[in-house]
Amino acid sequence: MSPGQVRFQGRGCAAGTFEGELVLSNQPFGFWQGMDPQTGTVIDKRHDACGLSIKRKAFVFPFGRGSTGTPGIFLEAVRNGCAPGAIVNVKSEPMIIMCALLAEAFFKVAIPIVDRVAGDLSQHLKTGDRVRIDGTTGVIEVIGRG
Amino acid sequence: MQLTNEEQRILDGGGGEPQRLALQVLVKLGEACGAERMVEIASAHLVASSYQIAGEAGIAIYTQLVEQGARVMVRTTSDPGSIDFARWREFKTPEEYAARQVKIAELLDRMGVIPTWTCTPYTTFNVPHFGEHLGWSESSAVVFANSVIGARTNRLAAYVDLCAALTGRVPCFGLHLDEGRRGDVLFELEAELSADFAEHYFPALGYLVGQVVKDRIPVILGIRRATLDQLKAFGAASAASGSVALYHMVGITPEARTVEEAFGGRIPTERTPVGRREIDAVMEQMGASEGPVDVVGIGCPHASIDQMGRYAALLEGKRVHPNTRLWICTNVVVEAMARKMGYVETIERAGATLMVGTCHNDCPLEAWGFRRLATDSGKFAYYTPTTVGTECVFASTEACIRAAITGRVERR
Repeated sequence: MSPGQVRFQGRGCAAGTFEGELVLSNQPFGFWQGMDPQTGTVIDKRHDACGLSIKRKAFVFPFGRGSTGTPGIFLEAVRNGCAPGAIVNVKSEPMIIMCALLAEAFFKVAIPIVDRVAGDLSQHLKTGDRVRIDGTTGVIEVIGRG
Repeated sequence: MQLTNEEQRILDGGGGEPQRLALQVLVKLGEACGAERMVEIASAHLVASSYQIAGEAGIAIYTQLVEQGARVMVRTTSDPGSIDFARWREFKTPEEYAARQVKIAELLDRMGVIPTWTCTPYTTFNVPHFGEHLGWSESSAVVFANSVIGARTNRLAAYVDLCAALTGRVPCFGLHLDEGRRGDVLFELEAELSADFAEHYFPALGYLVGQVVKDRIPVILGIRRATLDQLKAFGAASAASGSVALYHMVGITPEARTVEEAFGGRIPTERTPVGRREIDAVMEQMGASEGPVDVVGIGCPHASIDQMGRYAALLEGKRVHPNTRLWICTNVVVEAMARKMGYVETIERAGATLMVGTCHNDCPLEAWGFRRLATDSGKFAYYTPTTVGTECVFASTEACIRAAITGRVERR
């Protein structure tokens, strides 16, 4: 399949559009204690994406491990321009959706979130691939292979 | 979502910009989570009161809201800050850092927040009653309010809690609805464990349960009696290792007089037996090393007056080891009462220090170079390796205080 034909339909959880690289993880992720908000690098030593930068990338992980302090770190990253540009989950918990809603309300930054994607993403995507994401329609398209 | 005339008025800007922005966030959250309407709340509790959580982004948000004239519409209390306002120099908090926390305090003050600086607002001026709807964050307070009191709140995120406070409303989904409060997984204590359930098993069992259920609702069968502090310890651990926001303890918590009631008439999909072996295994995971310990953390969640009395009794006539710090975390209300009752004098005479309005996990402690921390808290045990950056040992309250006196932690 050529990249242009690979397309996934999910549920749009937070509006916005994204075009760029993705980082794929197979483990649940918590932004609180999980990401350095000054750089956008994953710092959780127990995590498979540890050491990777998710700054302005589409971060694909199964679901969030959300401390209620999550938006603290997340919005600090938004303010520094180091937050992920989009989020794709198997299931997006309210905590992660709240982060995107707050980013939009207080910093006018739209971070699309898509979840419940039909099909196994980890079978078809890998870190470094380029994708287009629409947080309203829930459509994810692969536009380039990394 | 079905909005009332008042809610529509707020969304149209009739209540001012802070309310409009806050309600917009809440309505979008409700739409994403399948809420059909908003529900009015009796109180809010804010987790982004600490500089560690709020950071400069938080200060920017609060400053903007204050400039736009934001005021909380319901009783609203604050979670711990990142400094002990009276003793931050003693805890080696950098001055610039303390100044940023003081800035947050001023901003919250201007919005009308009650400065309780505690994760146990229910020991101060924010005491919900059964069935009341709330807009709380702080995972340990949420799980206490839902489970022990039977009030109703989802686990709100930092700033969303403030949106709730500014509008007096939250979207009605999840734990606000009867069907969202039914148990999912049954944990059954084996007879031997049930008959001899030591106090420090409460946080250990909470830690185990949280790991298994993640964000589902556990039902515990076999606890014969429990104090409020033991329920607090259990819930805090389960909310840290998992994201438990509500548990039922059959015969103990108000929505679980029977197993049937706890499950809302449904048949449990999972039954998990728990015995001594499982408890011992989880305590191993929470940190079981022995040897010198340089800091002991008790009072997580913040100590109650009963616990302060117990610590004082255990420290009476004793002396904390010169190489070890014993820091006891509590809030300013409990501190005042403990001082009146002579507990603070006994605790301080023994060389222990109160850490008021904050805790080891909320304060910057890099300057201390700690290597090993002992705690009786499942929540501390979960977070300490990342927040304080030390090795952690989990032990009973008595063993923790003994460790502070001898300078070494021995688990038996």
